[in-house]
Amino acid sequence: MDSSLVLQNLLSPPVLFFGLGLLSVVLRSDLEIPAPLPKLFSLYLLLAIGLKGGMELQHSGLDRLVVLTITAALAMALLVPITSFLVLRTRFDTYNAAAVAAAYGSISAVTFITAETFLGALDVPFDGFMVAALALMESPAIIIGLLLVRLSAPRERGPGLGWAGLLHEAFLNSSVLVLVGSLVIGALSAAFSPAGMARMQPFSEQLFYGALSFFLLDMGIVAGQRLRELRETGGFLIAFALLAPLVHAAAGLAVAVVLRLPQGDALLFMVLCASASYIAVPAAMRMTVPQANPSLYITSSLGLTFPFNIVVGIPLYMAALQRFIPAT
Amino acid sequence: MKRLDLIVAEPELERLCGALRQAGAPGYSVMRHVTGLGHGGTVSEGMDFSGFGANAHVIVFCEAQQLESIALAVRPLLSHYGGVGFVADAEPL
Repeated sequence: MDSSLVLQNLLSPPVLFFGLGLLSVVLRSDLEIPAPLPKLFSLYLLLAIGLKGGMELQHSGLDRLVVLTITAALAMALLVPITSFLVLRTRFDTYNAAAVAAAYGSISAVTFITAETFLGALDVPFDGFMVAALALMESPAIIIGLLLVRLSAPRERGPGLGWAGLLHEAFLNSSVLVLVGSLVIGALSAAFSPAGMARMQPFSEQLFYGALSFFLLDMGIVAGQRLRELRETGGFLIAFALLAPLVHAAAGLAVAVVLRLPQGDALLFMVLCASASYIAVPAAMRMTVPQANPSLYITSSLGLTFPFNIVVGIPLYMAALQRFIPAT
Repeated sequence: MKRLDLIVAEPELERLCGALRQAGAPGYSVMRHVTGLGHGGTVSEGMDFSGFGANAHVIVFCEAQQLESIALAVRPLLSHYGGVGFVADAEPL
């Protein structure tokens, strides 16, 4: 692997700030970011990426490649949780296997954003429609997760969430709503109010890199705190959290090669397949599968897979795809 | 007069408050962002950005005869999602 790719990623401000957050936990610093701020920055990042993606989607239009890529993304969002469940079920009960599988079937928007930043630093172009794939891949895994529980576990009567509540949670949770809403607003504004979009740019583009770095500082702190719970997760889940991204990224690469995606889009597709959700899915699983242990699905996705992807995974996937997909 | 203290995870707060209203609770007070140590380990605000949140503390004051219907509505939620509830005597000032 090209070591300069790893270094360039490792020494970028967002990843360094993530490391600083991790270090603050290891050194027992009193560094703490007040709770509403990470939520604000998380919503800001989704809004900014949605606006940009919508604008670029409007410019590029919906051609055959866009439709095929989005269809493939949806297929992966259905396939990954099912295969993950079959692997996890060998060691965990149905509830925990389904909750962890749902997390790995969904995506991490911040990993995607970090990959976009990485591509920007390398001057590798990518298409705005990949944001649509990101938005569409977030929710199906939540539904698959609950379906797996309903099909595999004995039925329990209780005050659990019904299908209407589940669909509401899956498709209208705050992150999906802001992302899809911003995507639509970006597309509409680019078509009918380009001057309005230009006025948004100081907010949605120039602040973006700083906001990502600040958010990753908080993610480093939270991931560091989660790492303390690794003893509870056990060796099998640790191995799964580190190997599943590689397997899912390889599957994503195979699809990208078949679809003849350019390098930038191929990396984003691989990252979507390889990442695990620690925002939408944990909140949904808490409400729909309360029997599952949150320490397992949050610690594995946020404490292991997320750091692995943003520090090692992204440059590794880039190096791998360069062997199969020529630069354009 | 009785005082009911309920501690649940924040995502379940809305449902708990709905159950209290349906059971005829005369009112309740809610304190969000409650952190500490529970059955599942440390409770922090670290995951607040995800909607997972910390805990919420709900306090209900009601007449003794209302307590049974409130308990009937709240118990299934506590046993399904987790959480604790305690009852104490209370006196108005």
